Amino acid sequence: MGTTDSSIVDAARARPGLLFVVLLAGLLLVDLAAKLAGVGLGPIGGSLSVDRLGSNLWNGVVIGLVIGLAGIGLSMTYSILSFANFSHGDLVSVGAFSGWGVAFLIAGLGDIPVRALLTVRDAGNASPGAIGAHILTTPGAILVGLVAAFVVTALLAVALDRAFYKPMRDRDGISLLIASIGAALIVRYLLQFGYGSDRRGVTASVDASNLAFDPLGLSVNAHELTILVAAVGLMLAMHGMLQHTKLGTAMRAMADNKDLALITGIPAERVVTATWIIGGGLAGASGYLYVLLRGTIQFDFGWLLLLLIFAAVILGGIGSVYGAIVGGLVIGVVFTTSTIWIPSDFNQAAAFAVMILMLLLRPEGLFGGVTTA
Amino acid sequence: MTADAAADDAETTAAETEASEAGDSDATATAGTDHAIDGDAILRLRDLDAGYGDLQILSDVVLDVADGEYVTVVGPNGAGKSTVMKTVFGLTTHMGGTVEFEGEPIHGLAPEQIIREGVGFVPQNDNVFPGLSVRENLEMGAYILDEVPEDQIETIYDRFPILRERSEQKAGTLSGGQRQMVAMGRALMLDPDLLLLDEPSAGLAPDLVSDMFDRIDRINDGGTAVLMVEQNAKEALRRCDRGYVLVNGENRYTDRGDVLLADEGVRQDFLGG
Repeated sequence: MGTTDSSIVDAARARPGLLFVVLLAGLLLVDLAAKLAGVGLGPIGGSLSVDRLGSNLWNGVVIGLVIGLAGIGLSMTYSILSFANFSHGDLVSVGAFSGWGVAFLIAGLGDIPVRALLTVRDAGNASPGAIGAHILTTPGAILVGLVAAFVVTALLAVALDRAFYKPMRDRDGISLLIASIGAALIVRYLLQFGYGSDRRGVTASVDASNLAFDPLGLSVNAHELTILVAAVGLMLAMHGMLQHTKLGTAMRAMADNKDLALITGIPAERVVTATWIIGGGLAGASGYLYVLLRGTIQFDFGWLLLLLIFAAVILGGIGSVYGAIVGGLVIGVVFTTSTIWIPSDFNQAAAFAVMILMLLLRPEGLFGGVTTA
Repeated sequence: MTADAAADDAETTAAETEASEAGDSDATATAGTDHAIDGDAILRLRDLDAGYGDLQILSDVVLDVADGEYVTVVGPNGAGKSTVMKTVFGLTTHMGGTVEFEGEPIHGLAPEQIIREGVGFVPQNDNVFPGLSVRENLEMGAYILDEVPEDQIETIYDRFPILRERSEQKAGTLSGGQRQMVAMGRALMLDPDLLLLDEPSAGLAPDLVSDMFDRIDRINDGGTAVLMVEQNAKEALRRCDRGYVLVNGENRYTDRGDVLLADEGVRQDFLGG
């Protein structure tokens, strides 16, 4: 046999996991091609329309953007404060409830009691449709709601920092992590206390506006487009802030080396506060957008989403803002395209399987070692 | 029991040290032990006790740096040399005595305030932000100013021309010598009156060490007072105006660098004969 063969064998022996992943990915691609061509070869192939694949990918990108947006804050607090913040998911929920409360208030003021509106509840006969929470009918309300989601969540994040994390600044990451679980429980059950525990519809589905346009045979609805624009806009603003402002440079410096930042004269506490404002605000915005996508809201949805956010952040390399975005997109696409092969009940499992494979094969993540920069 | 034994040990050691000290000064020592200077000093340490948490490292340390002076602190490992530097910069637990800078007490101030007073500090390890560009590293050195001082960045690029070439490169990708320049440049961004250097030659390739000392000479020639801790004691004492020899967190000798170098006791104890 030639040397090429033996070097492939050597590589396979050295990294059997990689070989397994490559084989599996190859098999899935062959199967995907067969499905698209409509060829059936025993267990392989079947039928899948290009449209369905396209819409799976598009849905994956949209949910991935929302997850990535939430992941930015998680990654930032990890790199600057050195702890995994388990209350981040509940900040996502807070953004959704506070933002939609404000959006409802603006869209439905006058006809429906303020209390019902602020608690994101349709009262009496009024359905979400009657309140008219839809980007095409009430764009102003939706936009103000997004801003409110950012601001309220940012303020809460700073308040939680002052109350719980600041007094523990010198403690190790595990103590802070456990404190954050406590903070998460407090926030979550305050949400349940204030807003109730039922799942309810929020956005209106107005038939005529459902189809905004359909490039490449995709049906892209107006809400998905809103999410795309808002999420990408926030990410670009984040990028500009990190790379081109003094505060952003100081954040990257803190993430690089906290001790050196201290003796360089960077005011650590001010940078930490800014980190909570930005990270918390983006988490709130992502929760608000998630509800725009799903159409329903429930007090613990952020907590349930946190696992996927963690998967995205770990996949991208924890501590890296750009890794969080890319990780979010990968998790989102895996989440939606996995339904081609497995029942949709298991699509979360597929997302975590990808995360576990990443941890086994490249533990530092996609952007590992490249901290916030 | 063990505690008593340890205390006994410590007493014995202290007694021996005292004895040998007395012996040295009788027989061979010519180096001075007058740790304070006569004239004005911009940095004045008096009877300084400091350490980390409950652990005291320095006791009764006396040290002066005159305006524009180049002072070196040498001594065996664990003598507390770096602790002196960190204490001046407010990074240790102050336990007693005073640190005065330009006549004002600065012990108890936070590093950010000490920077404002006009002290720059280059720590020994991890002294650049690896993910930031060379220019961003320098900009961070002037964080407390509202505007980035472009003229000061130019001055530093003139001093270290290689940094101008590498301006947009990430500091983490530079060689050890270039990183040391970035670290010094960052500490010089506010044009300090006193520059603290903690083991600047540590980790440098031998052929780069004398270049580095040349650069420190030039910084000092520009009027900046330098307080340096150095493992490479011979070279440091050759270059400096005055040197302090520290042992076990206490002053031992203080004199001109060449006098310390010539002193038999100093040579035998710390300079390898």
